[in-house]
Amino acid sequence: MALRAHLNIAGPAVLVLVLMIAPLLVPTYWVMILSEILILGLMAVSFNLLLGYSGLLSFGQGAFFGIGAYSAALMLQAGYTNLFLILLVGMLLALIIAAVVGFFSVKLDEIFFAMITLGFGMLLFSIAHNWRDVTRGSDGLPVFVLPTLNFFGAEVSFYSPIHMYYLVFSVVLVAIVLLWLIVHSPFGLVLRATRENKQRVSFVGGKVNLLRIVAFTISGTFTGLAGVLFCLFNSMATPEFMHWSFSAKPVIMSIIGGTGVFLGPLFGAAIFFFLEQIIIRFTENWMLFLGVVLVLIVIYFPQGVLGTLKSKLLKGEPK
Amino acid sequence: MKSDAVLRIDNLGHDYGKFKVIENISLSIGAGKLSALIGPNGAGKTTFYNAISGKFPPTRGRVFLADEDVTGLPSHRIVDKGMCRSFQITNIFTHLTVQENVAIPLIIQQKKHFKMFGNAFKNGEMIHKVRQVLEQVGLADRGEQVVANLAYGDKRLVEMAIVLARVPRVILLDEPTAGMNPEETENMIRLIKKLASVSGTTFFITEHDMKVVFSLAEKIYVLHQGHLLAEGTPEEIRSNTEVQEAYLGRKVHA
Repeated sequence: MALRAHLNIAGPAVLVLVLMIAPLLVPTYWVMILSEILILGLMAVSFNLLLGYSGLLSFGQGAFFGIGAYSAALMLQAGYTNLFLILLVGMLLALIIAAVVGFFSVKLDEIFFAMITLGFGMLLFSIAHNWRDVTRGSDGLPVFVLPTLNFFGAEVSFYSPIHMYYLVFSVVLVAIVLLWLIVHSPFGLVLRATRENKQRVSFVGGKVNLLRIVAFTISGTFTGLAGVLFCLFNSMATPEFMHWSFSAKPVIMSIIGGTGVFLGPLFGAAIFFFLEQIIIRFTENWMLFLGVVLVLIVIYFPQGVLGTLKSKLLKGEPK
Repeated sequence: MKSDAVLRIDNLGHDYGKFKVIENISLSIGAGKLSALIGPNGAGKTTFYNAISGKFPPTRGRVFLADEDVTGLPSHRIVDKGMCRSFQITNIFTHLTVQENVAIPLIIQQKKHFKMFGNAFKNGEMIHKVRQVLEQVGLADRGEQVVANLAYGDKRLVEMAIVLARVPRVILLDEPTAGMNPEETENMIRLIKKLASVSGTTFFITEHDMKVVFSLAEKIYVLHQGHLLAEGTPEEIRSNTEVQEAYLGRKVHA
């Protein structure tokens, strides 16, 4: 009990501290990699609300990421530069579309759920790809002016990678704390119950489909937020965010890190990017080696890297 | 038609395609009674249960809970109306702890299943209620254990606790002792007897184990090839020749 309690408090505290001082210690290039890890990590953690906590494998998560990104790019092009407005509108649009997609998808399970979400994702991808008047198609939408923030009277811009990092870090931190609260709430517990046994939930009075729609919508909303951040970070929204191969990223990250641990997907994102950075120094074909590493992880870390390490460390500790 | 029955079934029938699995079942169960539905395998017991508990709507007939028509309602609505069931194959939340298993129906009953903040177990009232239910089934010392690690008999008790947590007026138990060893069976019989005597809850169980049925039920309904063959007290059923023939597998003469 003691070890688990210590780990649950000290772990996140140390992580936040390290992430806060990291930009002062590593070169700018790595600050940018860290920003990317945090953004994709947020996407993976919100995706895992479905895979890990609801037992639903969504293969269309990229669509909501793209909606957030396009919403930010279009607003900035139209001259709206209020940071909070851009974050909120991106989340709101993702929320609405996720609620609609969720409404049609949650009645299905397993591979059928994966296929219908993939289908919706590709439908939205096609819109982004082919509606050239608005999205400029495969060229993507560039962003030239970034929003600014009035920080206690001082005007803060985000053109420097360090400023961008702290913006990403703050938003991701707030989002992850909110997701943590949701996962540990009564809603989160009932959601895990639907993952275990949806029939039993329905036979004690729970509305399984409604619970799933809400989970899907929350997941899509936070993924949309990650998309907004990525558009600001990347200064570009492109249709590739909404392609099914992009939707595979949070799946891979969650499985690498561990779907049974709240921060597992964030660790998965970190491992994913570190591997990419290391392998790419030696060969262009980094996906080949990612494949090899993925196979090894699935075999030797059945609960994901963080999940397996945690359960090894806490072996014999009561739950 | 007003009646003091807490559960009343009128002319219930269900078809799978052209095959009439159950047909013309009418019965009426008074409040606080412990009744049993028996019948050889394939008699239609589970189909009957599924049709009245909202797993699927029955093809024909009506189901009333204390005079309110609940025919064809989805399962979660029927639970809200006061009838909750167990399943023949243990139906619980395997990778959650025992207390979480019990907290889930309580959270749903209190309409807190869309509450996004706060922890269910930081609430003193919730802890107290979970403990009460676990004490009823004798699992109070197992609260923190993950259900997957429990013995089979204890898993069946967890399902009983899940059902009890909703404090239903009518509890349907589908073969509550299926797969249990003699000691676990004994224990379950004692538990059902105790619950029925103190709570005023109406129990309606299906069983194929005659010993269990005769030691528990005040009233027995016999289902045979989808029809109600007989109903009565255990003594009446025991001495009914038609029932004996049905169970021995001989042809029943009408």
